[in-house]
Amino acid sequence: MRLDDDTLPDLARGCAILGAGGGGEIDLALAMARHAVDQHGPVDVIGLDDVPDDALLMPCGLVGSPTIAAERIPSGDEGLVLRAAVEARAGAPVAALMPYEIGGSNGLMPVVWAGRLGLPLVDADGMGRAFPSLAQLALELSDVHVGSWALTDGRGNVVAVDAADAVWAERLVRGASTTLGGVCAAAPAGLTGAQARAGAIAGSVSRALACGAAPDGTGRLLMEARVTEVARRVDGMRVHGSATLHGTGPDAGRRARLELQSEYLLALEDGDVLAAVPDIIALLGAQSGAPVPAQRLHRGQRVRLIALEAPEIWRSARGLAAAGPRAYGLDVDHAPIAPEPVRVRR
Amino acid sequence: MSGAELRVGIDVGATNAHAVFMDGGGRLLARAKVPVGRDLRASLDAVLAELLGAAPDAISPGGPVRVTLGTRRVTDALAQRRGLTRVAVLRLGSPLTGGVPPLWTWPAELRAAVSAGEQIVGGGAEYDGRTPTPLDVDAVRRFLHRVAGTAEAVAVSGVFSPISPEQELAVADLVRRELGSGLPVSASHEIGSFGLLTRENATVLNATLIAPVQAVATALTGALRARDIAAETYFAQNDGSVMALEHALRFPVLMIGSGAALSIRGAAQLSGVADGVVVDVGGTRTEVSVLVHGFPREAAPPTEVAGVHTDFPLPEVWTLPVGAATADGGGDALAWELEDVDVLGGDAGAPVVAVGGGAALVEEALPGDHEVVLPAHGDVAGAIGAAIAPVSGRADVVCDRDSDHLDAALLRAHRTAVERAIHAGADPARVEIVEVEQMPLSYLVEPAFRVRVRATGPCV
Repeated sequence: MRLDDDTLPDLARGCAILGAGGGGEIDLALAMARHAVDQHGPVDVIGLDDVPDDALLMPCGLVGSPTIAAERIPSGDEGLVLRAAVEARAGAPVAALMPYEIGGSNGLMPVVWAGRLGLPLVDADGMGRAFPSLAQLALELSDVHVGSWALTDGRGNVVAVDAADAVWAERLVRGASTTLGGVCAAAPAGLTGAQARAGAIAGSVSRALACGAAPDGTGRLLMEARVTEVARRVDGMRVHGSATLHGTGPDAGRRARLELQSEYLLALEDGDVLAAVPDIIALLGAQSGAPVPAQRLHRGQRVRLIALEAPEIWRSARGLAAAGPRAYGLDVDHAPIAPEPVRVRR
Repeated sequence: MSGAELRVGIDVGATNAHAVFMDGGGRLLARAKVPVGRDLRASLDAVLAELLGAAPDAISPGGPVRVTLGTRRVTDALAQRRGLTRVAVLRLGSPLTGGVPPLWTWPAELRAAVSAGEQIVGGGAEYDGRTPTPLDVDAVRRFLHRVAGTAEAVAVSGVFSPISPEQELAVADLVRRELGSGLPVSASHEIGSFGLLTRENATVLNATLIAPVQAVATALTGALRARDIAAETYFAQNDGSVMALEHALRFPVLMIGSGAALSIRGAAQLSGVADGVVVDVGGTRTEVSVLVHGFPREAAPPTEVAGVHTDFPLPEVWTLPVGAATADGGGDALAWELEDVDVLGGDAGAPVVAVGGGAALVEEALPGDHEVVLPAHGDVAGAIGAAIAPVSGRADVVCDRDSDHLDAALLRAHRTAVERAIHAGADPARVEIVEVEQMPLSYLVEPAFRVRVRATGPCV
């Protein structure tokens, strides 16, 4: 499998869907990835099973504010700096790159850097979607601990973080990203092929490509709807939002409520769960089919509410404790995605 | 503007030019409609001749007249890549931003027609206003000398210039010193909001549209002078408000989307409906848009103009390929197309204002659960929108959540919006803030806010 100018738009759309409305917007990352393959040639994607046990992998992406990243556009050379830092720590060469987060723009940033470095991309990622916290890495659920990170701001500053655990890593890396300008390039240091096989989400890049190539065949269509109300408030460090959706067309008469923070977290109908985090909730524009970022959700939009199952490990007891609705302060238990309603077309 | 001032509104569309005469109280005195040709000056001459013929005594020689023009000619120039200004594109961002060079995402033909050269030089700020990279003055000079002779304008865009515009202003100074004051400079902090690529794109579009706006201005002032009309002249903006001619020459990009915006504002004025849906049925196409508090609702960004992604506000418009001249099945063809429009699909509720030459078709085309308003003179809604439009200014700032900073940012945004409205020609004594929007930004340690403010006022 190769990523080139023809397949990158599909990958981008798929990453946006898996981003569940978050993870940063894809336009800029897509432009960067296209520029990189234009200048350096296509990027090869290799299966997780084809990576040797002792090969050094470099999961990577941006950490910080996507709004700031859209202003303070990366140079594209951050991958070189990260590789040098990771190799210096591990004492081995990096064999391949991997997204630490497939959802949103971070699904594409490793393509930019892999293109420039001439390295392949592994068909896997650390989350299987987008999450707001670096502590929400699937690797942690399999006891592959990621405490060491290398960060760079693109101005020649490199920060090495050795954290006691994933929660500290999130605090320290997030804090450093603010000091580095609100967004920085980041890579966990020292992940081997064997560790990735034990704890990473396999097949993420293929899943994103498949979702992006056929968004309408993706997941379950829960409702065709119009957004009738969006309210946002800042509570502590997070932006909370609620939206009301009114069913349209074959779903006329139905009503759903959507809870969102940086991502879409919960869809309810009459108090029943239609879909809940860590399952992936996405809104597609009714006419364009384009995924609607949570930050751009507004009244009047016509959308299709869809949901995709999260990778199985997130639906385990440990996974739900780390990324279920209650981890976001929502007083609801996770429930499987509701079945598609029977629809009669006009 | 004195209450007794006469207003002329002119709307030059794709097939017809309309003009109206209104008194200071918003009463329609006369109207005119002529078919348009390729030559804008000839169309303006024809529509003014008809208008003056309809109300020969309306203008007393030397009396106060305000003339507002809305035209799609500026947007057309971009689509046809004709008569554009050649732009030297300078980005202040190195060592960052190389991931996507300037104009790299543009359609190749448009880029070739617009660009006199592109360069990223050292500079730019951080979100907190720090400038860790000083402006690389030598690199700017070298670039300016390289493009001297071909460049007819300069577009400069610095990282975080909406927060820290000093380096862009320094470049404008350098251009004046190195290449003389005749070369216009479009600085991104005056044009767009956050998102370097979309702001840079808007800034380059602004610079390349200087010549097309000059051509329109020459045609208008020529046509007015030929009829001895000593008028204050205004151009329509994309939100349906207007700006003085000098302001339009500095910010041509604000004219993109103004044609649709005028019809929407005119429809609101004629119908008295402030919130609803406007369906404008022309000869060969129909435009559907949404009214919010009497102004056109903005499309969700990024918006696209001639294949270029930008972030400036444009009215949200659905264009349907049917009109009064094409809808052979009466309202059936229109009904078929309207079915697909988001704002009309399914739900009833919002009143629908039908304007344009084929407005009568709308009643036939829409199912009974919509309240359809057919205002008198809806066929010249665009010209009426031009005649009644206020002047506006907008500001867009980001700040952290600390309440002191938020208050300070709000004040700054209010002041900037008011200053811009005044610069665009509004009466300083009567400018009002009409819209304030606060939007939280995600994924920061400290939540931040984006604040957008719009101020409007009547003309001086």
